[in-house]
Amino acid sequence: MTSNKRTTLFVIALATLAIVVSSPFLGLSYISSTEIQHQILNEIRLPRMLFAFITGAGLSLCGMVFQAMFRNPLATPFTLGVASGASLGAALYVFLGLSFSFIGINGASLAAFMGALLSISFVYYLSRFRSHFSTETLLLTGVAISFFFSSLILFIQYLSNITDSFRILRWLMGSLSIVGYHDILQLLPFVTICIAVVLWLSRELNLLMAGDEIAISRGVNVQGIRYILFFASSLCVGAIVAACGPIGFVGMMVPHICRLLIGNDHRWLIPATLLFGGSFLIICDSLARLIIAPAEIPVGVITTLLGGPFFIWLLIKSKI
Amino acid sequence: MTILLTVNDLTVKIDGSTLLSSVHFQINKGDYLCILGPNGAGKSTLLKALIGIIKPTSGNISIGQQDIAQLNQKQLARHISYVPQAHAQAFDFTVIDFIKMSRYAYRTALSDWANKDQNAFEKAIAITHTESFLQRKMQTLSGGEQQRIMIAAALCQQASLLLLDEPTSFLDPHYQAEVHQLICQLNQQYGISIIEVSHDLNHAVQHSSAILALKKRETMWFGASSEFLETDHVHTLYNQQFVFAKHPQTGAKIAFASEVS
Repeated sequence: MTSNKRTTLFVIALATLAIVVSSPFLGLSYISSTEIQHQILNEIRLPRMLFAFITGAGLSLCGMVFQAMFRNPLATPFTLGVASGASLGAALYVFLGLSFSFIGINGASLAAFMGALLSISFVYYLSRFRSHFSTETLLLTGVAISFFFSSLILFIQYLSNITDSFRILRWLMGSLSIVGYHDILQLLPFVTICIAVVLWLSRELNLLMAGDEIAISRGVNVQGIRYILFFASSLCVGAIVAACGPIGFVGMMVPHICRLLIGNDHRWLIPATLLFGGSFLIICDSLARLIIAPAEIPVGVITTLLGGPFFIWLLIKSKI
Repeated sequence: MTILLTVNDLTVKIDGSTLLSSVHFQINKGDYLCILGPNGAGKSTLLKALIGIIKPTSGNISIGQQDIAQLNQKQLARHISYVPQAHAQAFDFTVIDFIKMSRYAYRTALSDWANKDQNAFEKAIAITHTESFLQRKMQTLSGGEQQRIMIAAALCQQASLLLLDEPTSFLDPHYQAEVHQLICQLNQQYGISIIEVSHDLNHAVQHSSAILALKKRETMWFGASSEFLETDHVHTLYNQQFVFAKHPQTGAKIAFASEVS
């Protein structure tokens, strides 16, 4: 059993390595000069690939946490409205022409984080204090929150001038085209904290999969653990959404596929999800760069095109 | 006799509705208490309050000499373990992993699987005879097999008090007898104190040491099991007339719901 899982994880790690090594070179043949090729590799492709890896790993991890907490493959920060909350926060930041930072974290991240926290508190309130709320009801609430926030974003766009409106629109599509290593440093602390917290709580996540009552009777402080996981995930999703827009469905597809590959034991699932999620987004981003090269499609469009059918397949399969 | 558990004036209210109203009882070490009562009497709520799933509105519960409100969830789990009523969760864990997870209360995120953990695990599967299931997935087990694994997992927790919520309700007669035999063995041979919520009146009267009868979320009767059928309480408890006979093998007094003529 364990050796099986070890093999699976090893294969995923190898595949990740192969993807990481090869992806920066894809589509490089358009450029003839070796010097420029080097420059592009070091200053654009490499940071962008790292950025894609961190983003994919972070989104997948948060999706995995939500799926475990709600014991439902459809429950992710995106389906529960967290990402739309973050989007609204970031759109407001652009619209109000704000420009501030707090201990080195840029204002857009903070605004997105506040938005994420706002919608997650709402979802948390419903799941905690209305205990008869089923996960299905929560998911529908998430859909309603998403619609509500989307209209608010549209309203903001309508009121904005053409430049801001375009900035918000492009950002909403989700893109990984970044300026340089600075953007990675903005994101890294949030994702790292989240990974550390989730790794630390892997045994609790396993017990939560067996149901709240069993988890409590085994000694898990379920309410406290939920608080921590909700907070850490919101922080992570908020930071990611602020940096590259809402890149949908990664957090739902990756952990679900990983569960099928390696099982529900989080001690194995967490590393598998991080590696798979990171390399998955690198592939999507490479596709986004290559399909209509030299122009590029926002990566969010690719993940959503893949994710939509996947969501429907999951919906039919889980018979909700 | 040492007192194990004291429940004093326990009241539970949720969203304005009363689920339990000043329930009180006390059990000693080694007791086997059955909680009887009609549906909706608050039996499961009582168990959930004991294990900390539901917080009491007023009153207190103490295990040994300690108020459980003073204990954190991990500390409580070392005193009390629990087998919930319905657990047909679709979870994709092997039996061995599931049972080993019960050592949570004794370990930290960084601690290795220690000798005492392995001993508790081996003892739990030996008592419940579950060696042959260990590599199977939880969801491939039948109801009776699952129930034995749930009990094995609770035993692995090494608590002095085991709570069981209708452990035999969904089982066929064979597994009912098997699970009941296991529970009696745990109590008599291994000295584990037990509180079982049950609808099996005759089992309760014959095998438990004490009965707590709950009706309309209040204590209706509490006393030694042998005395329960000697009173009119059984009729009032279920709002049902009973007739009595002797068990053909043991000669113990047993009750049947009387036929409506």
